[in-house]
Amino acid sequence: MGTIRVRFILVALAVSFFAVGMAAFLNYFKYKSTISNIVKSRVLVVGRNIENSVQASLAIGMQFTELQQLTQLMQREKSSDRLVRGIDVFDTSGQVIYSTDRARIGQKIPNPWVLAAERSKTTEWATDETDEYVAGISLKNAFDLTVGYLALRYSREEVERAAATAGREILLAALASFIGIAIVAPLALVVVIRRFERDLRTLEAAATHLEDRGPQPTTAGSAFDTAIGHLRASLKEANKSLDDLRAKLDSAS
Amino acid sequence: MLEKNYLWRIYWRLAGVIMVCVVIALAVVSYFSHRVFDRELVPETQHKAATVANSVRALMLKAIGYGVPFAELYGVEQTFGEVFEENPEFNYAAVTDLDGQLLFHRGKEPQGTREYFRSPVTLAVGLDPSASWKASKVGQQYFVSMPISANDKPLGMLHIGIDSKFVDNVLLELLLDVLVVLVVSLFFTLELLNFMAGARLASGLGEFAHQVERMRSGDFTATARIRANDEIGRLLRRIDAAIDHLNVRYEFLVGELDDKLRAALGARREALKPAMAQLESIRSRFRFGSASASVEGDEMNLNRIRAPLFAFILAEEMTRSYLPSYVNQLLVAIPGFSPQVVIGLPIMLFMLIVALGQPYLGSWSERVGRRRAMLIGASIATVGFAATALAFNLYDLLLWRSLCALGYAMVFVAAQGYVLDRTGQNNRAQGFALFIGAIMVATVCGPSIGGILADNIGYRLSFGVSAIMAMLSLLTIARLPTTEMRAVSTTKPARGPRLREIVALMLNRRFMTLTGLAAMPAKVILTGVCFYLVPLYIVSIGNTSAMAGRMLMVYAVMMVLIVPLSASLSDSSMRRDRYVSVGLIISGLSGLLLLLSDSFLVLFGVVFLLGLGQALSIAAQSALVAEHCQEEIRIYGHDAVYGVYRLLERLGNALGPLMASILVVLWGYQGAFIAISALVLVCGIAFTIATRGLDWQQTAVASP
Repeated sequence: MGTIRVRFILVALAVSFFAVGMAAFLNYFKYKSTISNIVKSRVLVVGRNIENSVQASLAIGMQFTELQQLTQLMQREKSSDRLVRGIDVFDTSGQVIYSTDRARIGQKIPNPWVLAAERSKTTEWATDETDEYVAGISLKNAFDLTVGYLALRYSREEVERAAATAGREILLAALASFIGIAIVAPLALVVVIRRFERDLRTLEAAATHLEDRGPQPTTAGSAFDTAIGHLRASLKEANKSLDDLRAKLDSAS
Repeated sequence: MLEKNYLWRIYWRLAGVIMVCVVIALAVVSYFSHRVFDRELVPETQHKAATVANSVRALMLKAIGYGVPFAELYGVEQTFGEVFEENPEFNYAAVTDLDGQLLFHRGKEPQGTREYFRSPVTLAVGLDPSASWKASKVGQQYFVSMPISANDKPLGMLHIGIDSKFVDNVLLELLLDVLVVLVVSLFFTLELLNFMAGARLASGLGEFAHQVERMRSGDFTATARIRANDEIGRLLRRIDAAIDHLNVRYEFLVGELDDKLRAALGARREALKPAMAQLESIRSRFRFGSASASVEGDEMNLNRIRAPLFAFILAEEMTRSYLPSYVNQLLVAIPGFSPQVVIGLPIMLFMLIVALGQPYLGSWSERVGRRRAMLIGASIATVGFAATALAFNLYDLLLWRSLCALGYAMVFVAAQGYVLDRTGQNNRAQGFALFIGAIMVATVCGPSIGGILADNIGYRLSFGVSAIMAMLSLLTIARLPTTEMRAVSTTKPARGPRLREIVALMLNRRFMTLTGLAAMPAKVILTGVCFYLVPLYIVSIGNTSAMAGRMLMVYAVMMVLIVPLSASLSDSSMRRDRYVSVGLIISGLSGLLLLLSDSFLVLFGVVFLLGLGQALSIAAQSALVAEHCQEEIRIYGHDAVYGVYRLLERLGNALGPLMASILVVLWGYQGAFIAISALVLVCGIAFTIATRGLDWQQTAVASP
C-alpha cells in the first residue's frame, strides 16, 4: 500500500476519532446533566412543599426561628422520597436552624452552600459535595426578603450509577462506530483516490522508462500527461545532442 | 503543467468521503444514545412524576380534609398548569373517579387515554389505597397513575402524562452541538490532510513541476537532495537518476574530446572541429554539472508553519466563548471599578500586551530565530494556560493571562516572520493567505469547541485543554526546519516604529482617516462585541457558553467565506474604499438590530451582520494604506507606516472590551451593543464622506 494512501487513511481515522469521541462526550455529558436535572427537580418538588409551608407560616406572622412543626414536616417529606438523605434549613449567616438530623442544628453549613444560594438568579440553587449533592430553595417572606435557605441533601449514587451505565453503553456504541469507520473509510478512500493513485502510477511508470530509447508507455488520460511529455522531450533532446556529439567524435577518429 | 487546484480537488473529495463516514458514525452513536436515554431517563422521569403527583395529591387531600367534595374541588386545572410550567416534560394531567370518569384535566388528551382510565387494571390501582403508583405506556405516551384516598376510602385517581417526545427533545438540544462537531470535523479534516499528507505531497509535486520546468529550459544540473521514501520521492529519485546519467555521459564525452584534442594535431584536429561545434551548441542550450547550493526544499516549505500556527491559535481561540464567564467566577471587588469593567480587564490586558509587544517582538524573533521564538512563545503560553486553569482569583488570573498574551504575540510575530523569510514579492500574498487561513480555521473551530467543553467539563478543565493544545503546538513547532532563512526582499532588520513617527503619522489626516475612522473602529467592535458582549450577554439571558461559541463560529464562518471573495473583488475593482465604507456601515447597523428586539434570533442577526461587515472591509483596509499613504511611506518608510497602522489597530482591540464594559455599566448589555454599533456606523459614514473628496481620489489615482 502506498505511503500517501496510508497517510490519507490516518487522516480519516484521526478525524473520525475526534468526531465520534466528541459525539460520545457530548451524549454522555448531556445524559449526565439531564439525569442530574431530573433528580434535582424531583428533590426540589419535595422542597417546594416545605417552602410553601414555611411561607404560609410566615404569612400569618410567625417568626422564622419559631416554626415548631417544621422539623416534623421535614421528616415526613424526607421519608416521602428515598433519595433524600437529609433536609436542613439555615439562616442567611449559614447557621442550621432546623434539620432532619438533630446533630446538625446550630452548626454552620459549608460556605459554598451560602455562596451558591446567594449567587443564584432564581430561588433555586444547587451545589456539589464530595459524597452528596445539595439542592436548595431560598425562603422568602411576604416582602420578598430572603429569611433563610432550605437545603436538601441527596445521594450522588443514583446519578453516578445511571451515568456510569449510560457512559459504558455510549462508549461501546462509539467504539463500535469507530471500528466501523476504521473498516469502511479506508475502502471508501481507496475508491476516491483511485484516479490520483493511477496518475501517480502512470507518472512513476513513465519515470521508470525515462531513459529507454525504445517506445515508451502511453500516458493518455493522466493529469500528469503534459508534464511527462515535457520530461520525455527534454531528455530526448539532451540525449540526441549527446548522441550527435558521440557520432561526431566517432567520425573524427 | 498540473491543473490548477489539482490537489485541492483531491482534498475535497477525500474530505467528502470522510464526512460521509463521520455522519454515519455520528448517526450510529446518536441512535444508540437515544436508546440509552429512552431506557434510563423514562423511569427516572416517572419517579419524578410520582413525586409531583404525590405533592398534588397532598394538596387535594388537604382541601378534601376541609370538607370540599372530591368531585367539586376548585383550582385543580390551575395546579396542573403550574406543574406543566415547572416541568415541561409533563404535558397532560387528569383526575378520574373510581369508574374512570374524567373529573379534571389539563393538556392535550392523548389517544386511547379514556380507555386506559377505564381499564380494569388501572381501576384496580385506584381501588387499592395501599398502592403507591403505577407506570404505564398508552400509545406513545407514558403515564404515572396514583390512587387518591382519604381515610382509607378510595376516591379516584391522579394521572400525570409524560411527553413521549421529551427524550427526543433532549437529544434535539444536542443536535446543534453535533452540527458544530461536524463543521469542526470538516475543517480538521482539511487541516490534517494538509498536515499529514498534503504538505509533503504539495511540496513533492511542486518539486516535480519545478524539475520539469528546469529540464525544459535545458538545466540538467544535478541536485544532491535526499528524497522522501514515498511515491513522489521515488519519482523524483528516478528523475534525479536520469539527470545523473546524462551528466555522466556529458562529462565522459567532454573528457574524451579534451583527450583527443590534446593528442590531435593538424588534420586530426580539424576533424574534431564538428564535435567541438556540437559541444558548444550543447553548452549554449543545456547546463550540466552540479546545481548551485539552493535553499529551496523542505526549509522553504511554507506549509509546515500551518499546523503549529493552527494548533497554537486554536488553544487561545478555545477560550473566547467562556473567558468572560470564567473571569466573572473569579471576580474580586476592585474599589472604584464596576464588576463589568473588571470582567473586561483580562481581555483588555491581553490585547494591550499583544498590541504593544508585536512591533518589538518582530526584530527580537529575527535575532533569536523564528523557530526558537515560536518555541519560547508557545512554552510561555502553555504555562499561562495551565496557570489560568488553576487561578486563585482575578489578580493572579491577570498575571497568567499576561503570559498567554506575551506567548501569543511571540508566536504570532515569529510565524509571520517565518512566512516573510520564505517568500518573495511573487509569492508573499500566497504565503500570507496560508498564514491567515490557519488563523481563520482556528477561529471557526476554537470558540465552538471551547464553549462545548466549558459547559460540560467546566472552565478550569477547558483551560487545561488549551494548555494541552499549546503543548501540542510546541511539538509541531519543534519539527520546523532548524535552518533560519532571511527575507528575500528585506535588507535591513525589522524594527518597531519610533515615537517621532507615531506622533507624525497620528497627526496626518490621510493616515488617520484610514486608521482612526476604519481600522480602529473595526477592531473596537470586533473585541467589544465578539470577545466581551456576546459571551456575557448570552450567558446573562440564560444560555450556555456553547451557544456563545456557536455565535462566534457564525462570525468566523462569515469571515472564512466572504474574506477571499471581498479581497479579490476589491482588488480587481480598485475601489477598496467603497468596500471599507460598506463593511463599516453594515458592522455599524448590526448592533442596531437590538433596537427591534432582544430575541435570540436578533442576536444571531447581529453577529451575522457584524461578520459580513468585517469580512467586506478587513481585506481592503490595509491595502488602502499602501494605496493612499504613498507620500507617508516615502518619508517614513513602509515598515514605520505599517508598524504605526498595526499598533493603532491593535490598540483598538484593547479599547473594545474597555468601551463595551463601560457602556454596559451605563446602559446595560443591549445599550452597549447599540452604542458601539452606532459609533462604528458614525465612523463608517464619516469615512465614506472623507474618502469621496477630490484629494482622496487623486492620491488613489496617483498610486501605482
